Amino acid sequence: MNIFKDPVLLVFSLLGLGLVTWLVFYYLDKTRWRKVSPWSYIVLSVMVIISAFPFYWMFIVASNGNEEISKNPPTLVPGGRFLILMGHVFDAAPTFGLSILNTIFVGTTIAVAQVIFSAIAGFAFAKLNFKGRKFLVLFVIGTMMLPSQLGIIPLFMIVNNLGWGSTLTAIVVPALVTAFGVFWMRQIIDAQIPNELLEAASIDGAGVIRVFRSVVLPIIAQSSFVLGLFAFLGTWNDFLWPLLILNDPNQFTVQVAVNQLSASYTIDYALVLGGAFLATAPLLLLFILVGRQLVSGVMDGAVKG
Amino acid sequence: MATATKKPQTPWRVSTQAPAKKKKSQKAPDGAVVKSLNGNWGYLFTAPFVVMFLVFGLAPVVYSVYIAFFQWDPLDMTHTFVGIANFQRVVADDQFWLAVRNTFSIWALSTFPQMLMAIALANVLRNPRLKFKTFWRTMLLVPNITSVLAVAIVFGQLFSRDFGLVNLAREWLGMPNHINFVSETIPGHIAIATMITWRWLGYNALIFLAAMLAVPNELYEAAAIDGASSWRQFTNVTLPGIRNTITFVLVVGTIGGLQVFAEPLTLAGGESGGDSRQFSTLTLFLFEQAHMGNWGYAATIGIMITFIVLIISGINFFFTRRIANGENVQ
Amino acid sequence: MKKLIARVAATAVALALPLSMVAPAHATAAPVTISVWTYGNVIEPQALIDYKKIHPEITIQLKKSGLDAHHQSLITSFLANKTPDIAAVEVSYSGYFRSYPQYFTDLRQAPYNSGSIQSNYLPWRWAQGVGYEGTVFGIPTDVGGMEVAYRTDLFKAHGLPTDRTKVGKLWPTWDAFFNTGKLYQKHLSKAEKASCTKLKVCYGFIDNAGTVYNAVLNQGTQKYYQNDGTKDGKLIYATNPQVSKAFQTTANALASGVGTNINSFTNDWNVGMNKGIFATILAPAWMMDYIKQQAPKTKGKWDIASLPGGGGNLGGSQLTIPKSAAHKSQAWDFIKWYLSPAEQLAIFKKYGLFPSTSVLYNNPALKNYKDPFFNNAPVGAIYGASVQTLHPIYEGKKERAIDNIIGQALSRVGLKKQSAAAAWAQALNEIKNAVG
Repeated sequence: MNIFKDPVLLVFSLLGLGLVTWLVFYYLDKTRWRKVSPWSYIVLSVMVIISAFPFYWMFIVASNGNEEISKNPPTLVPGGRFLILMGHVFDAAPTFGLSILNTIFVGTTIAVAQVIFSAIAGFAFAKLNFKGRKFLVLFVIGTMMLPSQLGIIPLFMIVNNLGWGSTLTAIVVPALVTAFGVFWMRQIIDAQIPNELLEAASIDGAGVIRVFRSVVLPIIAQSSFVLGLFAFLGTWNDFLWPLLILNDPNQFTVQVAVNQLSASYTIDYALVLGGAFLATAPLLLLFILVGRQLVSGVMDGAVKG
Repeated sequence: MATATKKPQTPWRVSTQAPAKKKKSQKAPDGAVVKSLNGNWGYLFTAPFVVMFLVFGLAPVVYSVYIAFFQWDPLDMTHTFVGIANFQRVVADDQFWLAVRNTFSIWALSTFPQMLMAIALANVLRNPRLKFKTFWRTMLLVPNITSVLAVAIVFGQLFSRDFGLVNLAREWLGMPNHINFVSETIPGHIAIATMITWRWLGYNALIFLAAMLAVPNELYEAAAIDGASSWRQFTNVTLPGIRNTITFVLVVGTIGGLQVFAEPLTLAGGESGGDSRQFSTLTLFLFEQAHMGNWGYAATIGIMITFIVLIISGINFFFTRRIANGENVQ
Repeated sequence: MKKLIARVAATAVALALPLSMVAPAHATAAPVTISVWTYGNVIEPQALIDYKKIHPEITIQLKKSGLDAHHQSLITSFLANKTPDIAAVEVSYSGYFRSYPQYFTDLRQAPYNSGSIQSNYLPWRWAQGVGYEGTVFGIPTDVGGMEVAYRTDLFKAHGLPTDRTKVGKLWPTWDAFFNTGKLYQKHLSKAEKASCTKLKVCYGFIDNAGTVYNAVLNQGTQKYYQNDGTKDGKLIYATNPQVSKAFQTTANALASGVGTNINSFTNDWNVGMNKGIFATILAPAWMMDYIKQQAPKTKGKWDIASLPGGGGNLGGSQLTIPKSAAHKSQAWDFIKWYLSPAEQLAIFKKYGLFPSTSVLYNNPALKNYKDPFFNNAPVGAIYGASVQTLHPIYEGKKERAIDNIIGQALSRVGLKKQSAAAAWAQALNEIKNAVG
């Protein structure tokens, strides 16, 4: 029974997907330059609802408590217990507020450092003539392929031998540079800054540092901001490494704090999702403020070429 | 790579990219350096990256290669050198190959439908007359910033067998038999693929959107004058224009797909990946072994993952070149 | 824009409020901070508040992780020589750590002299904190004594008695328990049966027959390992009749169809508890609190009857002091206080964690304790009697991994993916690969 059911289910869902995709292409292409089909708005609205649903669900669970969501069918409207639950979150993880501050600090430091180190290294790889450049570029690309889990245990030993066990330093320092960031900046600089511009500046007598500061930096400012933002978001949501290395509740990052809320035998869903909501809210706030830049940043790398 | 920090995905255009031919002459060909700048600054500029990366990125990897030749229980004082025994074990290990199968199955289910949908979405977003453009684009990125931990719990609830919303919705739509996502292989893989698709769909749609916007309007106009239907315009103009982006999304999706971890862990409820190990992905398998105290074997699995990524990247590179060449011929 | 600012301001206030709540407000002479790593609720929050009153100079930093994550962090902390002052070790991992007593403080030695308090505790619980060569590395916390929690209303509706002594007499043995289950299933209403055929949401006697496995296994005297005085112990999982008996009993139970196949602690389980999808749960003492939290509306509908085949146990922890702990004497003071009979009694009353301190079992405060949520069942007396029937059982090094593999095998049997014999053979094979 199952043997037949599974592939059928699979084929049907794929066919369904294909059909929807084709319809969307067909109707939208047809009306492309004249008017926007109402289907566009329907499709987009559905997508937005789906995108926001888990976040909304966290709030529902957090504001209703376990008992309410254990109903069948479950409640889909927010309840009135949100503040009570927030109290429980702070009872269970008294340093939750501090964790948010820690994460902001760690995230900002990592973001700034990654931008600076990636920008200068990316600039060197893209525009400067030095021995070993090509090899290093290949090396960077190669290391991007390595799965991050591979080195996590030895990294733990290294960081502890340096005496950084259970400190925020252990979170910050290994994340100061990434091969990805360097590669990304190299691509941006390569694509966005014509050599002629740099040559003109250097013929006017500007040294490398001045060229970088007054010519390169202004052009890559927007992309740098986006790289920094991604580094910040990544740090905010990372939990494997911080969970491993951080012990002191005063040093917890926000995801570790959320993890504190989930017990072993038993998961109090309202508590965990309430914490998760609290942990995501600042990010959403940031997102409302800079979402526009983020969107253009994501698209930036793709447009220029 | 130095840490488990989530890497943002970003597109790059392979420099042989053709459609914007007019712009090409303005741009320096890839790899050309500015001779008039003092190259020695390059050492200084790259030094922080290289040094830090060697210590925190490469050294751990090299060390784990060393561990792979031992039977290494973490708390033991001495570790037994076993030569290539771990490697012999891994090639013969059914559980490893099962993990390979699961990883690729989840990868395929999450990548291809997602690509179709992302391209379709991008096509919707492309319309210049669309209202609230920024709003739509921003909202599509929301899944990307929501924490994996939280999302995994939420989806775990949605997909639960008896009272999950997905099954309740199916019941409501007239499909009464509840699917046991936790124990059945393919529905479970579809559930995991859904979580991944949910997270990355909007992001990839924006990448495709950017690529589509870069396709010059003149090409469409020329096609329209030739009397091409809009479907043909799409296949003949849009698709070739975003070909490299498709490759890019595939490559990045593959690397990310091989590291799938949090989603199957939550759905399976344990590191062994479900009763028939049907959710045991490669990364989950690595962690399972490490947590059983088999660090040597876990390191071996890590090396195998690296090999697989390299092979796939090689294949991808090969195809990218062929596509690029094909385009030039065209 | 105004809206946006209002939103930002509102969020800022919401964030700032809790921050001010957690501002530290202690200032005493010679303050010491001891770090404690646990999972779940081994250290109950009330205890920290109480301890603060006695020892205002001590600040206790609690780090909680999931069960597996907690023990893995402990291992890594040993490697880095950067350990907490107190670490909880759960029974399923105590087998692993007893192979490595050199990482813990030997509590037999002065100034700890654990021998002086040993007689307070259940002997078999005490033994779970003893290293392979005799070191005492941990003091027992609660004991997960196991009984059957059942729904009186559902029993009545399905033709079974409701009085706890009568119910207990229904199932002196496991076979009788499953036969009772079949009787229950016979009285399922039409709607309940239809739900199973149509929706595949099945009503049943027990939540998951797979939970029987651990109950049966723990009623024996040996599990997967035998203590032969060596660090790793001797593997006997394949030959120990108790293991195959537990497996067979569970497989039979699964085949008899008296369970709903809903796994414990899942979303479905929580909902099922509220909706009365299943009528019995094999409940360790600590689970009572969970049931109260998840299904408060079922108050008074539950009762507790004795477990088939004698007493049972699931879970329980030891508190340990790692060797490189920085504040050993303060850590020991806290452990001695927290695990003392008096404090354990207080914890039992508040949270339902059943104490390992056997000196309490004849204490009227415990013995006469009745829980209104469970129809005023004398839970203190019931669980107390149960845990005293158990024998010391040697927990082995990689027990957790073996438990997982057998759990998966039973799961396959329950889902009818495999026959019991095939699942058993596959499990043996997998265990061999995993632990040698």
